[in-house]
Amino acid sequence: MREVTFLEAIRLAMWEEMERDPNVFMIGEDIGRMGGAFGVTAGFMEHFGADRVIDAPISETAIIAVCVGAAATGKRGIAEMQFIDFISYGFDQVVNVAGTFLYRSGGKTPIPIVVRGPSGGYVGGSLYHSQQFEAWFFHTPGVKVVQPAFPDDAYGLMKASIRDNNPVVFYEHKYLYRRVKGAIPDPSEDYIVKLGEARVRRYGDDITVVTYGAMVHFALEAAQRLEKEGVSLEVIDLRTVKPLDMETILKSLEKTSKLLIVYEAPKTGGVGAEIAARIAEHSFELLDAPIKRVAAKDAFVPFAEPLEKFVLPSVDDIVFAARELAAY
Amino acid sequence: MSRVRTGRKNGRQAVAYHERLTKSDLQKIYRNLWFARVFDEALYDAKKKGRLRRGNVYGSRGQEAIIVGTTYPLEDGDFVSPIHRDMPVFILRGMTTEEVMCQVWGKAEAPTRGKDSWSHMGDISKGIVHSTSMLGSTIAVACGVLWSLRLDGKRDRVLVAYTGEGATATGPFHEGLNFAAVHKLPLIVVVENNQYAYSTPVELEVPTKTVAERAKGYGIPGYSIDGNDFIEVYNTMCAALEHARAGKGPVLIECVTYRLQGHADHDETRARQYRPVEEIEMWEKRDPLPRFRQYLLSTGQFTESELPEPPPDVVEEIQRAIEYAISRPDPEPHTALEDIYDESAGVSK
Ligand SMILES: Cc1ncc(C[n+]2csc(CCOP(=O)(O)OP(=O)(O)O)c2C)c(N)n1
Ligand SMILES: [Mg+2]
Repeated sequence: MREVTFLEAIRLAMWEEMERDPNVFMIGEDIGRMGGAFGVTAGFMEHFGADRVIDAPISETAIIAVCVGAAATGKRGIAEMQFIDFISYGFDQVVNVAGTFLYRSGGKTPIPIVVRGPSGGYVGGSLYHSQQFEAWFFHTPGVKVVQPAFPDDAYGLMKASIRDNNPVVFYEHKYLYRRVKGAIPDPSEDYIVKLGEARVRRYGDDITVVTYGAMVHFALEAAQRLEKEGVSLEVIDLRTVKPLDMETILKSLEKTSKLLIVYEAPKTGGVGAEIAARIAEHSFELLDAPIKRVAAKDAFVPFAEPLEKFVLPSVDDIVFAARELAAY
Repeated sequence: MSRVRTGRKNGRQAVAYHERLTKSDLQKIYRNLWFARVFDEALYDAKKKGRLRRGNVYGSRGQEAIIVGTTYPLEDGDFVSPIHRDMPVFILRGMTTEEVMCQVWGKAEAPTRGKDSWSHMGDISKGIVHSTSMLGSTIAVACGVLWSLRLDGKRDRVLVAYTGEGATATGPFHEGLNFAAVHKLPLIVVVENNQYAYSTPVELEVPTKTVAERAKGYGIPGYSIDGNDFIEVYNTMCAALEHARAGKGPVLIECVTYRLQGHADHDETRARQYRPVEEIEMWEKRDPLPRFRQYLLSTGQFTESELPEPPPDVVEEIQRAIEYAISRPDPEPHTALEDIYDESAGVSK
């Protein structure tokens, strides 16, 4: 085992996959000579060379499209968005080109690409350096969405995403990059976390909290606080947002009968809305209380501190919502 | 016909527009250049001292001649579309220094009411178009502003859109400039070629020897000029304005310059690794401020003491605005949910 930061776990996963498979390459802005804006790709160009680590012009469309074209012909490209917000320029490539490719090719041509980059708020990044719009791609057939919370999962999921034969959008919460540390397995173990499997990060009896990304840490903190009040939270980290692991959620709900969904994105139309809908549609009898959601307010992530705090969900928000559910 | 002019020699305009500048003009220009320099230095300093705790500071040190040379000949009713490297443009085009500092500090009375940071602001009433982080997108938005002016019968009003050389690689840059050229819109694109896009050198952003050569593809004039020479920037800009106001379509001006600092304040250490020391030293010598001062002295119209470095009133104005911004209230939390929709339906603003 190795003790590493969240950032280092992602870096090592990509490094080991590039060592293992010569078809894997990466492309992005400032990823080579500088090693990436956040340093996630530090040392890659020196080691793997400029043909496999491409410093691209400011052209998000092309960055993703190069991965698509290369994927159609047997390669596995990892596209870095300097901030995941800038994926909007490459949106068409993900949604209309990569997402549909297999379908259009009669199942013959899969598109194994990973589009990755720093996401999320809580760092004063303001509108275009804080967004969390996994719902755009959650809504898109043919595209998988991953959003880890811990180094071991980030490591195992990055490897699985690179090996997966489908377009994967991989969200790396920048708040976690250097704040969260943990042990990851040694390379010899060939550790993989399969896409589409949630993980119970904390067992509890009273309320099931379903969440992902940075919010997992908020939920765990809330759980710790509520324990003192005698309220026991079970915290499920989805890890992969799409495909969605409903089985793990249902298993937990059978025990707790109360569901709290927490996500950092704007509340309306988010991943939590789909989970709530599925439970209401198919598993209504499991519930002893209305489903609750804690999410960002339906606004952009603003710059000034009081505004950002107001818009984004907090540990307090989770604690209050859980208390209400417990009292129901 | 497309004309590509590369280098200082060919870039200099036949018409010496600068000769019409009066002593009072020259004094203002000198002050404006220093204003841009001190603005930059004061914010770097505030960040370093922890007085500014949020947001990045993207400096324009070394690029002041572009900022001043392209704004000085503008008239009322003209538009500008500045981006992250052009903060002084907002003030030179009519916003107050206090307003801009409030924006930097995310205060309630900032143009964005604390919602967005740095250069993501504007004031349509003053002809300043708002930008986003999405590099290149302003060039396409500019076309809409110019079309609106056309609908209003104001065909001789121009829009000056700033961009880095790196952002010329984006799709919207191409779509915007192509549209403007097809429809002969009076768009002047000022490319501030400071040799780097973050860490990426210009050779990896632009395949041609000069950025100006891109103009060929749109059938518009493209100039590659010394962006550190105020006179050259000013003269080229005046020529571009005549061209655009006459209805002849867009012009691309590549101002060759150098980003003397890191990409932003957080980048100082790394920027000393990805840029060769000799290169930095060479460009320090081409600093546009002493060059313009030298020019003023050479005209015989100024004495040394008339040209203080920096002019004390500039320092005072900027410091006063910073203290003002710091003293002003933060936005109320609930205002975060305001300005998402405008419900005054049917009312054109
Ligand atoms: C579409 C998009 N991609 C990436 C970024 C991140 N980014 C911000 S500034 C910058 C470099 C810009 O270089 P250039 O256009 O040359 O302007 P300069 O900063 O040198 O003035 C990058 C890559 C962005 N803001 N927008
Ligand atoms: Mg540049």
